[in-house]
Amino acid sequence: MTDTPLSEATAHPNKGRAIKGTTDLGPSYRGRTGSRFDAVYVYEAPVRIWHWVNAFAILALAVSGYFIGSPLPSLSGEASDHYLMGYIRFVHFAAAYVMIVGFLFRIYWAIVGNRHARQIFVPPLLSAKWWSGIWYSIRWYFFLEPEARKYVGHNPLATFGMHFGFVWVTVFMIVTGLALYGEGAGMASWQYRFFSSWVIPLFGQSQDVHTWHHVGLWAMVAFIIIHIYAAIREDIMSRQSMISSVTSGWRTFKDNRPIDEDH
Amino acid sequence: MTVQTPNGFTLDTAGKRVVVDPVTRIEGHMRCEVNVNDQNIITNAVSTGTMWRGLEVILKGRDPRDAWAFVQRICGVCTGTHALTSVRAVEDALAITIPENANSIRNIMQLCLQVHDHLVHFYHLHALDWVNPVNALKADPNATSQLQQQVSPSHPKSSPGYFRDVQNRLKAFVESGQLGPFKNGYWTNPAYLLPPEADLMAVTHYLEALDFQKDIMKIRTVFGGKDPHPNWIVGGVPCAINIDGVGSVGAINMERLNLVSSIINDTITFVNNVYIPDIVAIGSLYKGWLYGGGLSSQAVLAYGDIPDKANDYSAANLMMPHGAIINGNLKEVHDVDLRDPAQIQEFVPHSWYAYADEKQGLHPWDGVTQPNYQLGPNLVGSRTNIQQIDEGGKYSWIKAPRWKGHAMEVGPLARYIIGYAKGHTEITDQIKGLLGQLNAPVEALFSTLGRTAARALEAQWAAYKMRYFMDKMIANLKAGDSSTANTTNWRPETWPKEAKGVGFTEAPRGALAHWIKIKDMKIDNYQCVVPTTWNGSPRDNEGNIGAFEASLMNTRVERPEEPVEILRTLHSFDPCLACSTH
Amino acid sequence: MLETFYDVMRRQGISRRSFLKFCSLTAASLGLGPSFAPTIAQAMETKPRLPVLWLHGLECTCCSESFIRSAHPLVKDVVLSMLSLDYDDTIMASAGGAAEAIVTEIVEKYKGNYILAVEGNPPLNEDGMFCIIGGKPFVEQLRYAASNAKAIVSWGSCASWGCVQAARPNPTRATPVHQVITDKPIIKVPGCPPIAEVMTAVITYILTFEKFPELDRQGRPKMFYSQRIHDKCYRRPHFDAGQFVESWDDEGARKGYCLYKMGCKGPTTYNACSTVRWNGGLSFPIQSGHGCIGCSEDGFWDKGGFYDRLTDIHQFGIEANADELGKVAVGVVGTAVAAHAAVTALKRARDAGDKS
Ligand code: HEM
Ligand code: HEM
Ligand code: NFV
Ligand code: SF4
Ligand code: SF4
Ligand code: F3S
Ligand SMILES: [Mg+2]
Repeated sequence: MTDTPLSEATAHPNKGRAIKGTTDLGPSYRGRTGSRFDAVYVYEAPVRIWHWVNAFAILALAVSGYFIGSPLPSLSGEASDHYLMGYIRFVHFAAAYVMIVGFLFRIYWAIVGNRHARQIFVPPLLSAKWWSGIWYSIRWYFFLEPEARKYVGHNPLATFGMHFGFVWVTVFMIVTGLALYGEGAGMASWQYRFFSSWVIPLFGQSQDVHTWHHVGLWAMVAFIIIHIYAAIREDIMSRQSMISSVTSGWRTFKDNRPIDEDH
Repeated sequence: MTVQTPNGFTLDTAGKRVVVDPVTRIEGHMRCEVNVNDQNIITNAVSTGTMWRGLEVILKGRDPRDAWAFVQRICGVCTGTHALTSVRAVEDALAITIPENANSIRNIMQLCLQVHDHLVHFYHLHALDWVNPVNALKADPNATSQLQQQVSPSHPKSSPGYFRDVQNRLKAFVESGQLGPFKNGYWTNPAYLLPPEADLMAVTHYLEALDFQKDIMKIRTVFGGKDPHPNWIVGGVPCAINIDGVGSVGAINMERLNLVSSIINDTITFVNNVYIPDIVAIGSLYKGWLYGGGLSSQAVLAYGDIPDKANDYSAANLMMPHGAIINGNLKEVHDVDLRDPAQIQEFVPHSWYAYADEKQGLHPWDGVTQPNYQLGPNLVGSRTNIQQIDEGGKYSWIKAPRWKGHAMEVGPLARYIIGYAKGHTEITDQIKGLLGQLNAPVEALFSTLGRTAARALEAQWAAYKMRYFMDKMIANLKAGDSSTANTTNWRPETWPKEAKGVGFTEAPRGALAHWIKIKDMKIDNYQCVVPTTWNGSPRDNEGNIGAFEASLMNTRVERPEEPVEILRTLHSFDPCLACSTH
Repeated sequence: MLETFYDVMRRQGISRRSFLKFCSLTAASLGLGPSFAPTIAQAMETKPRLPVLWLHGLECTCCSESFIRSAHPLVKDVVLSMLSLDYDDTIMASAGGAAEAIVTEIVEKYKGNYILAVEGNPPLNEDGMFCIIGGKPFVEQLRYAASNAKAIVSWGSCASWGCVQAARPNPTRATPVHQVITDKPIIKVPGCPPIAEVMTAVITYILTFEKFPELDRQGRPKMFYSQRIHDKCYRRPHFDAGQFVESWDDEGARKGYCLYKMGCKGPTTYNACSTVRWNGGLSFPIQSGHGCIGCSEDGFWDKGGFYDRLTDIHQFGIEANADELGKVAVGVVGTAVAAHAAVTALKRARDAGDKS
């Protein structure tokens, strides 16, 4: 799939509103549309749906995972009357499969979706411009730059954070999670054959995999805190919309000066 | 050249040097060298501990509540005794008391180890020093049957057919040409004195004991979950008791108690019917061979063990004897204080360790364990190929513990001598009974054979004491107390910033203690002084020789190239080298 | 007269008929046609016992102790009739040079036709002299004895992984057997110690089927090490129900609740304790009220406290469990975020002030 067609863009309800002026989207947009835009369709519906499904799956995983590691106070009565730990683990595994399937779908969409859909998977690690953009963003967050740069997609620091703080952490959680799952599913299961069989010796032993999977929980929580804070703050402070973008798909802008990066 | 040691031995290195390495049928790795004169009499003895693992180093910085599991792995033969010593040391440091049931269960487990270890030692490690299995092939099974019925009328396995079966099996084994563990034994050595029928009886019991020993340890499996290396906790025992309540199948219940009880009875029977009669039979045929006394008539040490009431470790409450005898004066039994920095000290001038000042000994609370492998100038061979060790330099991985400067012997014989000297009635009765049966004087105790006999008597005593604590526990349960653990100071947050403690037991091989220092909830220093550290110690700064070395002195060996007598005497201590160096 | 497998089996009450059936099953399991059954029967009827050298390195000897507790088969039958235990310094009659000569004899005479069993492990620091046999480093004896061995059995966690002497800081550099001997098939039978009946079953399997049992990637026989304690634990219903022992000797302990919160490592430990159990199937650690400490797992000594559910991480010199570490990290992140938000708000207010 290619970039957003013009018709859709013009259909955007925000068009002409909420924006102080129109934005020069740079030569690539201008070239195709021949005019200036005040909103761009960045997050396609599948990405938006995925974002929120994934967010809820991870919430469920984090809470259930925490209680797998530190169970609730004991229940009294007969064992056969209760299944608390069983349910908590069930929630964890169900959410895990939602997250895994979603993630696989998201990778598929990175291939077939618009170019923004690819961004968090393939950061331009060899681009000097990108690295200097990261540096600029860092300075901006340290209040050393007067103004944020303007981006259509994620700013370079966000791309960096999404790639390393989310994509790889997710891969890590899926791989270690499936390795742990394979231990219970048994040596004949695909989870054991494809994951447990090499992941466990790689880490040392099963206990190490548990420990690192557990550390992954906190890595994910740290990502989420920063992520949500940054989203809200940027929504207020930066020169483009944020929260509404990930619900509606449309990126709107607060000034009409040229953008710094169209990705 | 002869040297006089302060503890009264004359060492002469002029004669031929004989090396035994590895010393086998012991736990762990050991080397022994002796000099023999032209009459084949040992004039100098050197014993070397040839392994070290560094448990004291490994324990630094760990959770004191975990220490038992580490130190339990000091030894899988006296398995559990280090763990018990450790939880006692931690409880001492943190002022933790344990419930009565926990005390009874711990005592049963410790006594069970005593019986098991002694039995396995006698039949499977020591017997081949006295018994010749090849000679058993010549026996007449009828004669063996008669002998069996004579020495132990109530042992049911005594028919001629039974002994014939065993003999046939042994014959098939020997004739296969694959002698397995008996290969290259010294079966033509004149040091073996038993007639064939006694050899056959003993070999038969070798096999019977091998079958039976595994049942004894089931007692510890009930309480500790497995054996070797059962489980323990600081503050009590991990096995909860629930005799008849909901869910009692998940705890110590009536079925488990019955199981333990019946094994205790079987154990008493086996010791009475097999072990003790064999000691009498073999002892009476070897009672002329009274070598090996060593330090036993001069300097013996015991800390005592088996507290009758929980949490009282005073000598009066300990059912196994406590005290020290020095200079051969049985009239005076000294009190031993494990906390006194001047009493127990370890020296290293001849050990492969480094101290800042090696002329000084260190009390274990201030103990240092730093390996330092170096050999004396008169070594024959090289650093990695020792042909003849130089006892003038450092020569062992064992430290040299001393009590007020004295090299001490520890173990069943030491305990029995101290018990005898203190007039411990049960012990005195046992000793008198045995000496009467053998028609031997008290002095016969101070020998290799005395050590072996004391071990058997102690196994018998321990078997009956298991019964005592089982009954005691059941009475306590009847009175409504089923508690097994005290968890008030379980959490490290409740501990003082710094603490130190000492725990002790009487391990099968003798007096054992661990000293611990705790700082910021972690182990700051942990030192073990172990029975075989005492017995197998190398020389100290004054030149005193340890119990192993002393015991070999002046022994006549039949054939110096066949170390039957050396093995016999060393084995009488039941050496455990993994323990000694830890 | 040699006592053969057949004699042994006959003595144990196995009929000729079932012996022959056993031989054809063996033929089939080895991928041979039924016509090979008589050959196997013939071999079993005449074959001498397989020589075994059982070496001891740095160890505590509890693997040997465990071995002698075997209820089926009895260890006397193993030693007298199934194999030929020609060297084992813990029980052998001879000592010194006479004992060492046996190793040489077997290595030379039975090239490729004896089993080397190792209990304990070799230290490599101090040129190996933390464990000395015959005046030389144990590792030399190990290498020599391995040189012509058909295969090696690594008994226990010492030989398999390193065990207690290899626990941090491993002062002697105690090293598991497979890291020293790399050119021989090795079967690991981990556990501290391994279960007696597991040990004898592994030995009898090798003797009976003349091959190693199926091994997992790490060299452990799948027949005993393919499931975790937790997978077959009889307290598992309490785990699923969320019923835990919360402290020693509490109501849950007396009712046999799950020991997870007391640090049980059953969920991460591959061993047969919860099924085969110990000492003739009598009990196992959990049944007697203590959590599993993971004694058959690589490096179980260094995974934090035995009573902690969440265990330590040692990387980068950190010593904290995952939750402690994570909560600190999240705390730092949260504080940073809050501070950042405050500064942002301040700056916005000031900028707004500037503009007005
Ligand atoms: C578990 C919770 C969450 C996770 C794991 C998560 C993850 C992500 C990821 C991976 C992206 C990048 C999407 C892409 O480019 O494919 C993203 C974007 C975004 N998320 Fe979340 N998210 C979570 C919760 C939230 C919440 C609660 C909010 C709202 C406050 C939010 C607001 C946003 C926004 C505004 C963007 C777009 C950022 C941009 O345009 O640069 N997220 N999120
Ligand atoms: C963000 C994603 C995830 C988080 C935050 C998370 C968190 C956790 C936590 C904290 C634990 C407890 C670990 C311990 O202390 O032993 C756990 C256990 C586990 N997780 Fe996850 N997890 C995630 C994803 C997954 C995935 C994708 C799978 C795949 C199936 C998975 C499978 C498991 C399994 C099998 C366990 C062990 C359950 C048990 O021991 O009973 N997890 N998880
Ligand atoms: N020496 C010694 Fe031990 C004993 N008994 C322990 O303390 O054997 Ni391994
Ligand atoms: S594996 Fe454990 S039980 Fe076996 S020798 Fe080593 S420390 Fe002892
Ligand atoms: S006691 Fe241990 S092995 Fe058993 S169910 Fe609980 S956690 Fe699992
Ligand atoms: S501690 Fe070891 S004995 Fe079994 S239950 Fe655990 S593997
Ligand atoms: Mg010490």
